[in-house]
Amino acid sequence: MKLMRAMGNGKRVWSLLMLGAMAFTLLLPLALVVVPTTALADEAATTAAATEGCEKKGKDVYFKIEGCVSGPPAPQTTATDYPSYNLPYPLSENRVIVWTVAQQHLYFGSFVLAVPIFCMIIELVGIMSKDRAIGKRYDDLAHDFVRISLTAYSVTAILGGLLLFTFISLYPVFFSYLTSLFKPFMHIYALLFLAESGTLYIYYYGWDRMNDGGFLKWIHATLGVLLNVFGSVLMMLANSWASFMMSPAGVDEKGQFLGNLTHVLHNALWNPLNVHRIIGNMVFGGGIVAAYAAYKFLSSKTDNEKAYYDWMGYVAMFLAIASLIPLPFAGYWLMREVYAYRQQMGITLMGGLLAWLFIIQAVLIGALFFTTNYYLFNGMGRMRGSEPYRKYIKYILFLTTAAFLVWLTPHTLVMRAAELKAIGGQQHPVIGNFGVMSAKNGAVNTMLMTTIISFILYQRCNKIITVSWAAWGNAVMIGMFAVAMVNNWWLAIIGYYIPANVRVGLSVPQVMGTLTCLFVGLALNSAMMRGAKLTGPVEWGKISVRSQYGLFALAVSFTWLMALMGYIRSSVRLFWHAMEVFRDNSPWAFTHTIGFAANVMSFNVLIFWVFTLFVFWLGEFSTHKQLPSMVDERKPVGLGQPVIAGGSK
Amino acid sequence: MGKIWIPGAMPVELLLILAAVFFAFVAGGWVLKKQGRPIPKFWQAILIWIAAYVVLRYVLYPPIPSALLKTYMGLITLVLFLLVSSDEESWTEFKDPILKVLRGATPGFRSIRTITFVALPALIAFGTYDTIVPKFEEPIELRTVHPAPPASVKVAGKTFTLQTAENPFRVDEEGKYSRDIQQQHVNDNPWDPNAVKYMKYVREGGAIFFQNCHFCHGDNLDGRGMFAFAFNPIPANFTDAGTIAQLQETFVFWRVAKGGMGLPREGFPWASVMPPWEQHLTTDEMWKVIMFEYWHTGFYPRTWD
Repeated sequence: MKLMRAMGNGKRVWSLLMLGAMAFTLLLPLALVVVPTTALADEAATTAAATEGCEKKGKDVYFKIEGCVSGPPAPQTTATDYPSYNLPYPLSENRVIVWTVAQQHLYFGSFVLAVPIFCMIIELVGIMSKDRAIGKRYDDLAHDFVRISLTAYSVTAILGGLLLFTFISLYPVFFSYLTSLFKPFMHIYALLFLAESGTLYIYYYGWDRMNDGGFLKWIHATLGVLLNVFGSVLMMLANSWASFMMSPAGVDEKGQFLGNLTHVLHNALWNPLNVHRIIGNMVFGGGIVAAYAAYKFLSSKTDNEKAYYDWMGYVAMFLAIASLIPLPFAGYWLMREVYAYRQQMGITLMGGLLAWLFIIQAVLIGALFFTTNYYLFNGMGRMRGSEPYRKYIKYILFLTTAAFLVWLTPHTLVMRAAELKAIGGQQHPVIGNFGVMSAKNGAVNTMLMTTIISFILYQRCNKIITVSWAAWGNAVMIGMFAVAMVNNWWLAIIGYYIPANVRVGLSVPQVMGTLTCLFVGLALNSAMMRGAKLTGPVEWGKISVRSQYGLFALAVSFTWLMALMGYIRSSVRLFWHAMEVFRDNSPWAFTHTIGFAANVMSFNVLIFWVFTLFVFWLGEFSTHKQLPSMVDERKPVGLGQPVIAGGSK
Repeated sequence: MGKIWIPGAMPVELLLILAAVFFAFVAGGWVLKKQGRPIPKFWQAILIWIAAYVVLRYVLYPPIPSALLKTYMGLITLVLFLLVSSDEESWTEFKDPILKVLRGATPGFRSIRTITFVALPALIAFGTYDTIVPKFEEPIELRTVHPAPPASVKVAGKTFTLQTAENPFRVDEEGKYSRDIQQQHVNDNPWDPNAVKYMKYVREGGAIFFQNCHFCHGDNLDGRGMFAFAFNPIPANFTDAGTIAQLQETFVFWRVAKGGMGLPREGFPWASVMPPWEQHLTTDEMWKVIMFEYWHTGFYPRTWD
């Protein structure tokens, strides 16, 4: 082992290279499928050559390139092609069964893809920590995370199998068509599962064995990277099937395959969906781990246990919110691409049939912001000396609430005919203006900024700033936020008076202001905290019980949001299996009412949480490791005891 | 209260009123605290709730639908809970009177407890009764205001692709399509004899509007024409930031040409009664009238790039 350490850094590079080579070899078959053999020839020649000697030619619905018809057309189904169970409504509708199974599979899949991302980050943080005690704490946390996800991993696989059987038995014609297009990818998908499982088991079971603080630990961290590569590629392959249904490519208007697998895979919405889902997974995974920590916190017997799980909840919440901040931008991009592919789809989503669901989404997103702020306010209770900062809470809450009022105001109001007459029209002259995008952008940026302010205050809670330029620092900080807020509100108002294409562009300067506050604000704050006197260490475990329920609320909101937005994404195809190529002729090819859809979503959320609590409970049976000590050695300046939170028991 | 509103500034005014109420509270609370007579947390929360209700129910004019008022008040209730429970001291202070009532700390609190324990189930019972008793109220409705348009429409024998079609009269002096022309002439006088080509078309559109459309859509284009309230849904209000300002010009063309009859299924059962104007006007007249509507309201058609 000493020899290993002596060889140190060179070995690290070798380990990375070796594992990189391994990943490359395993992913090679995928490259062979995606890269056409004639990739190096110029495109015109390729097209000409490819379509030479064709019996039948077809034109790609999306890429507009001609190709050889080399697959059957999309089937013209009839009601008999959808063999359904003779069960009471709504189970007599196959789609409700598929919907439920797919949703559960997606939840667990999302969770097991997200956890390795966290573990990778947290393990690296542990390796990089100068303080070994804290480093070990992070390392144990990452190890804990994987343990939880292991059970979830097998549940995911079981649900995946169930989903496959559901497709084959309830949608045989549709599924055989999809298989005819994606055959090779489906095989690769299955093989990648093997690779991922192998990596995951080595990663988990080798954790302690490879924990030598040197070469082997680096190999282990690299395995974490590898695990994520496999997981992400897996997910992308599955995404391509869903995005093909929304925005078909690689087929002609009859749905006949044109011989180019890359086109089928790389359809218009594939990449936006990939990015949105990867980020979404991280948010979701953070939420679930935070909920786990809350569960453990509430059932803790000792102070040290309480402290450890309080800290775990905080780290998970922090990572979830950090991922949440870029998520709307990825969603925005996805939406833009939907509009670009088919305007009807875009309008159905944002202005038509499904518009009201976006209001529900807005409410849930607002709930996330409130919960986060609430958690941070309660978190101040962990620190002595946080009292002077508590007076700002009411201002932050007021701003967030005012922004949220604007954010959740729908443009199309639910009302009675008499109320409509009292208003004098479908749109309200005052709050009707809150219903459009210009106001919403101003509102959501305000909420983001107040959350950032909460976090900055939280960081300052147990410190007395000692840097000589403290007054200047504060002035810059306040000035920056004031300018960003005013800029944001001003642009939100001016948006009503300018052409639409310019208005859409205003979201960029608004977001820039917010992001500046985020990065510059946090960096400046960290700089001001240098050498600050501690009024007391963070007393982990001294947080109120209420805040832990807040963490649950956060996780449940994420879950509900995923159910909601997944439903929107899927139902926007209306009566198409594959948009404008393959028609859905099942007896239930109509859009459910919002109420019914919301009930199914809630049912799915409930089922998932029952499953998840079972997974948490199983986690109790595995070997209990000694929890790392959470005692902070740094000495406070010396103040009284903090108000003990949790006195509300 | 409805008199003091300034059109256009109203949404901002509402937010300012809410802010004023909030700061009045903070200032009042601070003064009372300095005098040694702070308002207990429990009553603070109740007072804020009432103040918010008064603003949203009585100050905000015209009245907002009950469903939305419930949503707003639900939010404010939740936020008040977050506020009082955000740190341990205020949470303890907030709970204090509630706990005293439950424990019956003094004879006074005991009688409040008795009253509460009788009144609460009675209230719940009444609420249940009120929910299930048959009523003659109109049902609550949710409309699809902007159903998705078709990819193309056929008007007067010609097919228009909605994603790409352009208004043939939105042109500069050379007769070339110009997106910026409206912005350049938004304050021009349409009756100016030397007006540019674009303004001439706007004026013609205005004439068509006042011959055909204003009976329902109103002199001010605000959807309050003389017949407006005979209909449900009532005609579209073009001066609202959420109607034509959010739509492509071709979308409006499709609606004008096909009318309520031509709505897709998702637009039912609230299909509008607008006639299919393709049977009464030429396509040119329809394009001109749409251009007038945009010019007059000062809004711009939605464009995607």
